[in-house]
Amino acid sequence: MTAPADAGRGTSTDVPPVEVENVTVRFGAITALSDVSFTVAPGAIHAVIGPNGAGKSTMFNVLSGVYQADEGQVRFGEHRLDQMRPFRIAGIGVARAFQNIALSATQSVAENLMLGRHHLTKAGFIAAGLRLPRATREGRRHGERVAEIAEFLELGDKLHTPVGVLSYGDQKRVEVARALCTEPRLLLLDEPVAGMNAEETGRMAESIREIRTALGISIILVEHDMGMVMSLADRITVLDFGRRIADGTPAEVQADPEVIRAYLGSGDEIDPSDAAAAHGASSHPSDTSGTRS
Amino acid sequence: MSESTATAARGSTASTARPAAAGPSQGRRLLRPLLLVALLVVLLLLPLYVEEFWLRTGFAAFGAIVGAIGLNLLVGNTGQLSLAHAFFLAVGAVSYVYVSGEPGGLGVAELSGLGLPPVVGMIVGVLLAGLAGLVFSPLAARLRGIYLGVASLALVFIGVHVLNAWTSVTGGFNGRAAPEFALFGFTFASRDPELYVLGVPFRESERLWYLGLVLAIAAYLFARNLLRSRPGRALQTLRDSEVAASVMGVNVQGYKARIFLVSSMYAGLAGVMYALSIGSIAPESFGLEVSILYLAMIVLGGLGSVNGAVLGALFVSALPLVFQRYADVIPFVGGRGEGGLAAGEAARFLFGTAIVLVILFEPAGLAGIARRVTGRGRRRPGGRVTESAPDTSSRSTSPVPSEKPAQGSTT
Repeated sequence: MTAPADAGRGTSTDVPPVEVENVTVRFGAITALSDVSFTVAPGAIHAVIGPNGAGKSTMFNVLSGVYQADEGQVRFGEHRLDQMRPFRIAGIGVARAFQNIALSATQSVAENLMLGRHHLTKAGFIAAGLRLPRATREGRRHGERVAEIAEFLELGDKLHTPVGVLSYGDQKRVEVARALCTEPRLLLLDEPVAGMNAEETGRMAESIREIRTALGISIILVEHDMGMVMSLADRITVLDFGRRIADGTPAEVQADPEVIRAYLGSGDEIDPSDAAAAHGASSHPSDTSGTRS
Repeated sequence: MSESTATAARGSTASTARPAAAGPSQGRRLLRPLLLVALLVVLLLLPLYVEEFWLRTGFAAFGAIVGAIGLNLLVGNTGQLSLAHAFFLAVGAVSYVYVSGEPGGLGVAELSGLGLPPVVGMIVGVLLAGLAGLVFSPLAARLRGIYLGVASLALVFIGVHVLNAWTSVTGGFNGRAAPEFALFGFTFASRDPELYVLGVPFRESERLWYLGLVLAIAAYLFARNLLRSRPGRALQTLRDSEVAASVMGVNVQGYKARIFLVSSMYAGLAGVMYALSIGSIAPESFGLEVSILYLAMIVLGGLGSVNGAVLGALFVSALPLVFQRYADVIPFVGGRGEGGLAAGEAARFLFGTAIVLVILFEPAGLAGIARRVTGRGRRRPGGRVTESAPDTSSRSTSPVPSEKPAQGSTT
């Protein structure tokens, strides 16, 4: 695999930190997130973990502008993500790969990936409908970049295949590739290996590591697969019932008694990675945390 | 129709990786443009050989094709169910007869009109219909699926009421004659100038045929190009998941507004063509039934498919006319005042049956059948394929008409 040549930006120097400060989200009487704070250092892989219903997906929806925070702030450099509409957030370089695959099944991989170029391209209705030369040129230029990114995620030979006929693992890779196609500075990965087998999980972890080294961008990861989280993440934030119960390096988090209690419901001295792995296995594929958010 | 644009666009959107892998084989690729040229030649030569009835039917079908392509962009590709298409047709048609019609009296009704050139009337009709769609579009931000459909229904009733009541512009209950079309002094009527081509007199029906052909091809190409490029991809993602579209950087409200604008402009043009084809407008021509027939066209043809819209429009618009003409030879169909079914009714029975059959056996519609017959190898998955991804079925955001997106949504 070769790292995609960077198209003009995305180097680690202009990746600002993400600062989540005292974010609270309520749905009626239910508090999905309560006073949650954490900071994602530039270029870091930051994992957000927690049992089902802990508020991980709500956090992602706040970060990508789908939900409004009732209190608190989310800053990305000089931008206030909590005050921006989702499509504007995409415009400043925040990309998201969905847990429950949100691709257009009848469209080809290339067409799905080209959507990632939306905010980088300009062709409007008239230019596109009349096939003005600038629209065609623009499409071709970005098509090349899309092919590069597809190659990077080992999807090069499937560019013209409709997404609907791909395997589940490949569809997840298309999700990640589409997010990368926006040339993000911050990549939000919502359970990128949920429902994958061991081999697919390994490939995905490898790809995520390469994305970070090649592009130097920040990655926020929500994941149930503890083995993967512990080996990939630089820092981990643990949520439970909408509250932050721990924040630190993988080693610190693993030793944290609060975390162990959250995963096991008792104070027994058991490694949370085992517990969480069992937890993750039992919750798939009928995991509802994404839709329930 | 123009499959060559498809291959060209494929090359541009999908880089040069390996077009042969998904495209048709070498021989097919040569065959397709040849077939298209042949079709075009036939369409161009037709007025020299066939009688007036077929040319008039053809022009009516061209109008329906334009309207159906427009509705399909909105419903099939963007997932915004609209029953208001008849209203936007009416806006186009009324604007045309008012802007280009001469003021004068017809019986008791006092008609006003601007008497401007018909081209101006056509353009104003298209623009006003587009404007009406744009004004309506904020509703689509609030309502989804069947609720949007019901809300749009209101426009049809308002439209019919205005057509009946605003006599000085619309001619009221009796309707109003539509001025003949003319382009830079060349009228699309039987005289002015007299015209013979290879000894065949070119009268109104022949001239209108060419007008319709040009407009329909333009409408077809525009839609086709649109869907295969940036805005088209945004629209189709918006249909499949509004959240995904917005997170990927698509301004969802903005795009909904724009597609309402474009779709209504198509409807406005179809309305003008309808007025030209009938020679007059009347309130009953823009009722709910027209909206439903347009929906029937795109469902029959295959939701989301431009080719499908063309085929569906052809089928639905031409069939009643053909039945009427051949009432004496078609079993069970009687002529006017005779026994048996009326032609229009018989056609409607057939649409009903056809829609049921299509939904049961070929959700991709006529376009899907055509694709199968021509053996285009690209195995596009049907709507059912979404179920293979375990989680997508749980999304509640997908609007009603898009739950089973048609095969090959851009073809």
